[in-house]
Amino acid sequence: MKRVLIIEDDSFLQSLEVNKLKKEGYDVLTASTGKEGLQKINEPGIDIILLDLVLPNFDGFEILEKIRATEALKKTPVIVFSNLSEEKDIKRSEELGATDFMVKSNFTLDELVEHLNKILGL
Amino acid sequence: MEEEIKKLKEECEKLKQTNEVKSDLISISAHQLRTSLSALKWILKMFLDEDLGKLTSEQNSFIRKAYNSNERMNALVNDLLTLSHAEDTSMSYKFEKIDLLYLIEQTVFDFSGETNKKNIELMFLKPDSPILPINCDKEMIIVVIQNLIENAIKYSNEGGKVFISLKQEENNLIVSVRDTGIGIKEEDKENIFKKFYRAPNAIEKEIIGSGLGLFATKNIVERHKGKIWFDSTEGKGATFFVSLPIN
Repeated sequence: MKRVLIIEDDSFLQSLEVNKLKKEGYDVLTASTGKEGLQKINEPGIDIILLDLVLPNFDGFEILEKIRATEALKKTPVIVFSNLSEEKDIKRSEELGATDFMVKSNFTLDELVEHLNKILGL
Repeated sequence: MEEEIKKLKEECEKLKQTNEVKSDLISISAHQLRTSLSALKWILKMFLDEDLGKLTSEQNSFIRKAYNSNERMNALVNDLLTLSHAEDTSMSYKFEKIDLLYLIEQTVFDFSGETNKKNIELMFLKPDSPILPINCDKEMIIVVIQNLIENAIKYSNEGGKVFISLKQEENNLIVSVRDTGIGIKEEDKENIFKKFYRAPNAIEKEIIGSGLGLFATKNIVERHKGKIWFDSTEGKGATFFVSLPIN
């Protein structure tokens, strides 16, 4: 079973994501703030991270920076899953080592799962 | 004289600040709108997939309409963002030498998921001879190519074909995107690049769009001192051409 960490502050969107990923057989960890996200990335066995950008306390960019500076997470795929889409946000995510950038409103949850499965080779 | 220059500089600074406020406002509004649009999209899709229980055909039809309506709003937000970026004359484009052939190849590759959904054959007919690099804003030219391919797929019927070509004609590179879709009626041709215009045959078929895509595309092409035009016969498809100067 693959373990996904979802860092998302909108509780409704988070609940829909959790529901879908659990149904698809994922072991799901969640964080609702930047601070919580920074703690949860230290949990063992994380296979992939779904990361929102606009978060309370610390934003997604700061978390991404921390993820890539953590030896155990250097190669863990991180999908930035945000409703921001400006070039500067996409570029910054790439520079900080994001695996991919997806705009939430442009994807269904089925497409999101398809994408995660593909990255994990499932 | 010095006084006038000082005044002009102050005015210029004020305009810049106003523009930054406008850009931030658009970006924040779009972000907030998209949060609600995502929630609606995901929930309505769950209903449509009958994850929440079986639907009657009437329920299915209403929810499908609600889903499509939400998708139209989403397309509108996406196009408004592109347009705000394209129309912002205070924002200078980042011109650099790029290989258009490589850019088209990459963009075509990104569409493989879209074409599979409608069983559409998407082909890039590469030029026989090498193509010179052109000076353009890479991100904005990607938007142009994406918009044209997206339209070609959107207005194609199931199993249709989309051909993209690139060639050099004197001092210009010409990109064409041809589809075998619904085409454009004679009386709609003069309006196709107008802001918010949607052709009645597209609305009838409930094809989602905002009427801003081609307007924004034309805007970007013209800021590159290029041209955009099309040929079309109703029911037989359309070919859109973009010409970009090499120098």
